[in-house]
Amino acid sequence: MKSLIYLLLGTILIISCKKDLAPISGCTDNIAINYNPNAITEDQSCNYFNTTPYVIETPYGFPDMKIPFDNPMTVEGIALGEKLFRDPILSADKTQACINCHQQNFSFSDPIQFSTGIDNIQGNRNASALINIGWNTSFNWDGSSLTLEEQAFEPVTNSIEMHNTWMNVELELNSHSNYPFLFKQAFNINYIDSIHIVKAIAQFERTLISTNSKLDRYLKNEEQLTISELNGYAIFNTEKGDCFHCHSTNMFMDNLFHNNGLDNEPFTDLGRAKVTSNASDNGKFKTPTLRNVEMTAPYMHDGRFASLEEVVEHYDSGGKYSTTVDPLMKKLGVGLQLSNQEKIDLVSYLKTLTDNEFIGSD
Amino acid sequence: MKKTLLLISAIAFLFTSCDKDKAIKTDLTINFTHSVDDSELITNSMIYTNEAEENYDIQTLKYLISDIILHSENGNSLLLNEVHFIDISDESTFSFTYNDVPNNDYTSISFDMGLDTARNISNKYVNEDFHTTMYWPEPNGGGYHYMKFEGAYNNDSTFYNTHTGGTMGADYSFNYVENISLTVDNDLGNVSANINMELNNWYNSPNQIEFSSYGMGIMMNMMIQMNIQMNGNTDVFSVTIDK
Repeated sequence: MKSLIYLLLGTILIISCKKDLAPISGCTDNIAINYNPNAITEDQSCNYFNTTPYVIETPYGFPDMKIPFDNPMTVEGIALGEKLFRDPILSADKTQACINCHQQNFSFSDPIQFSTGIDNIQGNRNASALINIGWNTSFNWDGSSLTLEEQAFEPVTNSIEMHNTWMNVELELNSHSNYPFLFKQAFNINYIDSIHIVKAIAQFERTLISTNSKLDRYLKNEEQLTISELNGYAIFNTEKGDCFHCHSTNMFMDNLFHNNGLDNEPFTDLGRAKVTSNASDNGKFKTPTLRNVEMTAPYMHDGRFASLEEVVEHYDSGGKYSTTVDPLMKKLGVGLQLSNQEKIDLVSYLKTLTDNEFIGSD
Repeated sequence: MKKTLLLISAIAFLFTSCDKDKAIKTDLTINFTHSVDDSELITNSMIYTNEAEENYDIQTLKYLISDIILHSENGNSLLLNEVHFIDISDESTFSFTYNDVPNNDYTSISFDMGLDTARNISNKYVNEDFHTTMYWPEPNGGGYHYMKFEGAYNNDSTFYNTHTGGTMGADYSFNYVENISLTVDNDLGNVSANINMELNNWYNSPNQIEFSSYGMGIMMNMMIQMNIQMNGNTDVFSVTIDK
């Protein structure tokens, strides 16, 4: 008798269930990225995980970019990364995206000395310009991150930046109308986690490549430099200005840390030593590339110089002594002794490193 | 019991006979060492004095050694490495190993300090670690620095930069040869060769080099480049073999 009741109840349940299910059509193949578990009728709409590889062409005078083995570049991953980079969904109050402090018009940097986070708190270092960043071997002014993926973890949870939690970001993205499909498409995952969020952002950042400046065209014999720019080119590339030792090769940086004589001791920001805990690294900061330097003001790790003219004045003064000042600052106390015209020429040359296509003004 | 014993001795015999037939491979490790006045280099300490009586410290030393070759009487030479970069701040650059050196009587070792004209070409080593740090700009002749040797002299805030390279395309690299006695045979096993750089000798005899004469730097100064090259080829390098 009892079993009869159960049977009856069960039947009712099944019938009522069936009633609730409208005959949904969709992809019924559970290995497809758009598999719809509610679909009953197959509508031939199944898409399968199939990413399109993206190859970075090595620019002249650059080494091959080292792509992490566990995060190969794909068209889908890059597009997703760009969407995330521009989406304020990553910040706690959904007001701030990566792009807010790394603005394309300013070569993916911030024209303000210290960027302001969602809680209106400012940091103490100038936001780095993201140019040819895939060739960097460490990130942040003190090199605290060793990969772009690792770096992308920081701003999201930093209390003076996006001040969010990864748990919250994951919740937001997993319940979003579009992101679950995009992540499935790019990485073939069913649950969006922080690891894949930073992977996508890093893939996008590796595509921020700038090598179409006036100087590049000059080196390819496609465009001529002015007399003033050529003079600046010579000052930059000889020990007269001695810029090239740190801002070296076509990358205009050396992936190393230097104390360029900005301050006497004690330093307010220990720089590289914060990472290494080694006093010999006090006051050292990572050499930034000079590509698009015209667009990345203010300058230095703390954005203390508003203009390129001020930067040139600093080097022309020879810099200040401290125990860790780089021996390359060999005009310390004497100065470069550039004439006013030579300073103008040097700035003119630096402006030939602007790539209008990259900053989106072409 | 008897059977087991027999088996053991048979196996033991097998191993012994194997050993006899098997030649021991020789891996040659080249070590780069640095001294000042015959003592091991101490960096960042103003304890050295050159012939011009300038006190100095050594903060940076990076250099390229190329075309490292073992030579033998029978004319067979062995290229050990095309280019090796040494940086005193990075111990991993202090040596490299050439595996399985062929049997021969090696009578000398030679190498170039820096890069000769055929190798000293801009972007030739674009994917090597030293590409950015040793870069030598086109307006100065292009290619790479042979050596960056930097520090302070006389007081902590006066710096010297001994940067050598192909000034305006001139070749100031030099080939150094030293006779050695190294017989590689089936019994030798691993061996190492130590290439020592006696740093103070870059500045002494036959040419006295004064840091105070460097002016705006020496990268464009052909006379100083030539004098340093001559000093380097005189008594900066020495090679010892450890068997």
